Amino acid sequence: MNHRGGIVLIQATWASWLQYRSFFFVLAFGWMIPPLIYLFVWSTAAGEQTIGAFSRDAFIVYYLALILVNQLTYSQTNWTVGDVIRSGGLNPILLRPMPPLYNTLATEIAGKIVYMLFVVPITAVLALILRPEVDFELQHIVAFLPALSLAWMLRFFWGYGLALLAFWATRADALLAVQDSLLFLLAGQVAPIPLLPGVIRQAAVYLPFRYMIGFPIEILTGQLSAAEIGEGFFIQGCWLAVALGFSHLLWRYGIRHYTAVGG
Amino acid sequence: MIQVQNLSKTYRVSERQAGLTASIKSLFKPNYQEVEAVCDVSFTVDAGEMIALLGPNGAGKTTTLKMLAGLLYPTRGTARIAGYIPWERKPDYLKSISMVLGNKSQLLWDIPPLDSFRVIGEIYRVPAAEYRRNLDELIDLLDMAAVVTKPVRNLSLGERMKCELVAALLYRPKVLFLDEPTLGLDVSMQKRLRQFLAAYNRSSHVTIILTSHYMADVVELCSRVVLIHHGKLIYDGDLQALSRQLAPFKQIRLTLSSINGHLDNLPAGINVLEQEQNQLTLRVSQSESAAVTAHLLKTLPVVDLAVENPPIEAVIDQVYQGALI
Repeated sequence: MNHRGGIVLIQATWASWLQYRSFFFVLAFGWMIPPLIYLFVWSTAAGEQTIGAFSRDAFIVYYLALILVNQLTYSQTNWTVGDVIRSGGLNPILLRPMPPLYNTLATEIAGKIVYMLFVVPITAVLALILRPEVDFELQHIVAFLPALSLAWMLRFFWGYGLALLAFWATRADALLAVQDSLLFLLAGQVAPIPLLPGVIRQAAVYLPFRYMIGFPIEILTGQLSAAEIGEGFFIQGCWLAVALGFSHLLWRYGIRHYTAVGG
Repeated sequence: MIQVQNLSKTYRVSERQAGLTASIKSLFKPNYQEVEAVCDVSFTVDAGEMIALLGPNGAGKTTTLKMLAGLLYPTRGTARIAGYIPWERKPDYLKSISMVLGNKSQLLWDIPPLDSFRVIGEIYRVPAAEYRRNLDELIDLLDMAAVVTKPVRNLSLGERMKCELVAALLYRPKVLFLDEPTLGLDVSMQKRLRQFLAAYNRSSHVTIILTSHYMADVVELCSRVVLIHHGKLIYDGDLQALSRQLAPFKQIRLTLSSINGHLDNLPAGINVLEQEQNQLTLRVSQSESAAVTAHLLKTLPVVDLAVENPPIEAVIDQVYQGALI
């Protein structure tokens, strides 16, 4: 593996993205709007009382964390992989003595850095304005970080696999839109998972979507027992293994198909 | 350096008529047609040689190049380049080749080419000192020091093509594939790129296969051409011999003092290609050109007469039209 090449590629991609920083800031702003709406709706609904185990402050902390986690795990590149395959843009990438996944990861990481330049200060300002009462526990923060990394990997490879269907189908990104809807419902966006009605909550716990966004936030905000955290990591790990295998297979057969029919 | 044997590529293309009914029908029962893009093409290229792959649009040139660059699996046949099988896409093979696609860029659009060059230098692991040396040499040869610090999107097409060439050559590949490198460039830029390619080919002994629709590229750069038509190789050899073999004709250009009535007296088997006032351009078969010339001089009031080979464009055009095969 050529890591230096990868790092320089990330730097260059980052530099080229910074040329458009205002565009990406506007995009990032757009992505912040839905969580902000949920934040205000739920915190207003809670008022002085609690809904489930959530007080007004708990909702605020939950959704401020969600803004960050959603942004960090969101894989914008999943939407562009299909275009690159369809337009023949894969050819120059395939000619390089480096796994093409590096190109996608470079865009992904460079993008994260650009978005964070915008999202972190905004979230900090919101936290200062809304002033929720909060105290994070160290063990929750320690568990949050790996859960967040795994969430990003899961969301990235899951979407990457779906995007790779573009090798066979011309508009595979319709599946990405379906995935986004499922993420909206079952990942803790429209409502925190513990507040979902019975059967749906059960489903959400076993489906992969919670582990892309909601799970790390639930850990951070102290809603899960140690046993639940352990179980969550296990399910998250299983789904990540599935996503890795799935995208690896699709890439292998996809590239074989691509070189057979031409880009 | 390059050995190609019976290289063939068949595509399966779905086909349907225009209209709603046809599109619904094709949804359930797609109609596939086999298209033979390249068929039993064989040739070899020596190290340091520069050859042109010629053929009309859709002849199979780009498909052939893509197979040689490892972007396409062939349906049949073998190829060996610098000891590697291209479509296995071994990293060491990819490091020893380079491909410039006239319509696809490997530069990042929004930042100066220098940044893209650095990425390429790292990906191909060119040692720093060598990178510096190669870069300076290429920038110098292409006379583009002022260009490399501007964002790519602000460059002209010609400047961009120069940058593509630098990107392609930075790591000193042994083999270079050029797919229409002069496409869309103005005459003087075409000329400068040609001069560069000729000089670079001489100084670095890189093996080059290029495709182009501009005969000037081919005439100036390649002593040898490989002609592909309908996926089949129809000629491989010297460019000058191409016209002798495929177009055994001469053109006679003559000026008469008066043309009145003389046109009817021309011997049989002569084609009048052009007539402008008292000037005529005739096409005669090579074997008869001496006899016809003598006859013309004897019977017509000739002021001036020249016997020429037909221009290469005319020969190629006749090949493409299918007139000569």
